Amino acid sequence: MLQAIGLSKSYGAQTALDGLNLEVKPGEIFCLLGANGAGKTTTINLFLNFIEPTSGLAKINGLDVASDALETKKYIAYIPEQVSLYKNLTGLENLDYFATLASGAAVEKSRLVGYLREVDLPSGAEDRKVSTYSKGMRQKIVIAIAMAKQAKALLLDEPTSGLDPKASNEFSQLIRKLAGNGTAILMATHDLFRAKEDGSRVGIMRQGRLRQVLNTDEFGHADLERIYLEHMHD
Amino acid sequence: MIGTVAKQEWRLLKADRTLAAVVVLMAAMVGYSLYNGSSWVAFQRQTLGAAETEQAERKGKLLKTLKGIEEGRIEVKGTQDPRSAASIGGNSSAPYLAMPPAPLATLAVGQSDLYPYYFKLNLRSKQAILANDEIENPTNLLAGRFDLAFVLVYLFPLVALALGYNLISSEREQGTLALAMSQPLTMREMVTGKIVLRGGLLLGLVVLFTFAGALLTGVDLGSSTVWLRLGLWVSLMALYTGFWFGLAVLVNSYQTSSATNALTLAGAWLGLVLVLPSVANLVATSMYPVPSRVEMVQAMRVAGKEAQSKGSMLLAKYMEDHPELMPAGEKPAADFTTLSYAVQMEVDKKVEPVLKRFDEQVEKQQAFVEGFKYLSPAILAQTAINDLAGTSLGRYQHFSRQVDGFFDAWKGYFLPKVFAKTKLGSGEVAGLPVYQFREETDGDILGRVGVVLAGMLVLSGAVLWVGYIRLRRVSIS
Ligand SMILES: Nc1ncnc2c1ncn2[C@@H]1O[C@H](COP(=O)(O)OP(=O)(O)OP(=O)(O)O)[C@@H](O)[C@H]1O
Ligand SMILES: [Mg+2]
Repeated sequence: MLQAIGLSKSYGAQTALDGLNLEVKPGEIFCLLGANGAGKTTTINLFLNFIEPTSGLAKINGLDVASDALETKKYIAYIPEQVSLYKNLTGLENLDYFATLASGAAVEKSRLVGYLREVDLPSGAEDRKVSTYSKGMRQKIVIAIAMAKQAKALLLDEPTSGLDPKASNEFSQLIRKLAGNGTAILMATHDLFRAKEDGSRVGIMRQGRLRQVLNTDEFGHADLERIYLEHMHD
Repeated sequence: MIGTVAKQEWRLLKADRTLAAVVVLMAAMVGYSLYNGSSWVAFQRQTLGAAETEQAERKGKLLKTLKGIEEGRIEVKGTQDPRSAASIGGNSSAPYLAMPPAPLATLAVGQSDLYPYYFKLNLRSKQAILANDEIENPTNLLAGRFDLAFVLVYLFPLVALALGYNLISSEREQGTLALAMSQPLTMREMVTGKIVLRGGLLLGLVVLFTFAGALLTGVDLGSSTVWLRLGLWVSLMALYTGFWFGLAVLVNSYQTSSATNALTLAGAWLGLVLVLPSVANLVATSMYPVPSRVEMVQAMRVAGKEAQSKGSMLLAKYMEDHPELMPAGEKPAADFTTLSYAVQMEVDKKVEPVLKRFDEQVEKQQAFVEGFKYLSPAILAQTAINDLAGTSLGRYQHFSRQVDGFFDAWKGYFLPKVFAKTKLGSGEVAGLPVYQFREETDGDILGRVGVVLAGMLVLSGAVLWVGYIRLRRVSIS
């Protein structure tokens, strides 16, 4: 569903991403690990066509995102690192706007409220202004947007940073549920524990290169930390 | 998609009270400006009404006196004969020539308070009744009173920019841009949705306030010329709104912060609305300097003295040229009145070249500013609105030409009678021509405003076009 072929991005002399080859299949959760500046956000932005690749291809559902930007955006949902919504509007109004944009047609209110129940937003909160929300609540709205869109692929940039362990756990359950429904998920994260727990595979990046890809059922929690640190040290 | 964005904009405007603020602000400004406009028009109407009454009374009195003399009831005493052509043409039956306020005059004072809108006719020099149309200081030329035109041309762009300066930057700053752009929505669609709503709303308010203002200040909405003018007015404002939102799009396409955008746009406003018009006038007056008025007055004085010293000779010469005017069986009368008219004619002839030079330079200045106006949408809008409201230089010149024509005819009728010492009777006085102002035709207005609209279309189209081209390259991350 998500496919990177020799995908590279340079800013002048600086190489942010260097020849990435990657495929994420429907129902799979791929976790990108790596230090700050490794190129994780760059990868996600390339899939969103927010930036143009220097060389290589990013494909969604078999379509090149650079040449079919609008079409590919119908298949993906994105949860940015900073989950920001329109503060002066209610959660439901925010969901309504983005869900309408996402699907290209108005979505019934009852369905929208249904999604909000599904992501477990406290009932009554949907009619409050987003300025009164916590980060976890805002994130739930964004996940509801992804659900309303019935996206085939989900791009997540450090979704659990700043969430408390319980919120983080709830979030994982939602992600797994989406994957269970056949969504391909690409998630950049610093959370080794969640990566091992939720991911089908993890990829370790350093200085724009994908150094190693592992299946999460082939190692334990302690192994992952050791392998990660080995890559960071040499 | 565009509709979805527009709907969202509506929600956002409502939620942060921007809408209420804009409506209240506009209503206050428009209300005050209409009050100003209608009091100026009321003042003009009152003045013209008083002049007309005075004129009618004066003529009535004259006719009564003349009839009295004719029926032998009144005796002519002293040197002043009420039947003399000089007295009748120069004073007792001299009409006022007035340019009444145009149908939409309450909406724009324009330059109508700089130019005289009525003259009392006499038999003397044209200069004595006609003011000269020198370009006045630029703030007068462009700003003038706090009328609806001022609100729409100068303050309205600020409101438009306040609604447009952060079209994209606010989305970026509050972090919603990435979420929106991850949907199947292009940057152009998003920007279009935003300006359609914000610009449309603003334009809607302008139309509403203009029509409400027209109704409240007694504009005759039953007349077709009023509808034509209001229609052109709305088209002009639509293009003008387009220009300022286009500028906002262009500035936003540089991806600077909202604060920087606000400063840049405020600078652009200052430049286009205040600096450029002043520069236009400065360049015009230094490129085509008019002879100073002192020089003109001096020339008149010298010519006057010279003519005075040979007054009787001038009169004799005139009579030689026009023997038919010789009063029957008399010597050419060298009385004070007749002499002074002869002198006057000579002065007019002498001063004419100076006046001509003066007029030519002023005309060149105006032609220059005329061309310059296409650089600033504010000057364009102001000219068009003045034309539509009937307070433009164009209508004043239209009036001025009518005055010239009437004045020439009047003098042509009376002066020979002055020299011939003909006495007029009540029948002749009653049959004197009456001046009636001829309004500019719809075609005149359409012609002048049409050109301005085309210029505005080009300006607005250009900024929008460049802005939209640049939108393609706006990065999201
Ligand atoms: N617009 C840009 N101009 C220049 N260099 C950039 C730009 N954007 C990113 N980079 C560089 O590209 C490299 C990869 O950045 P990226 O944001 O992808 O890292 P990351 O893995 O997401 O890091 P983090 O964990 O901190 O989010 C970094 O060295 C960064 O400095
Ligand atoms: Mg990052």
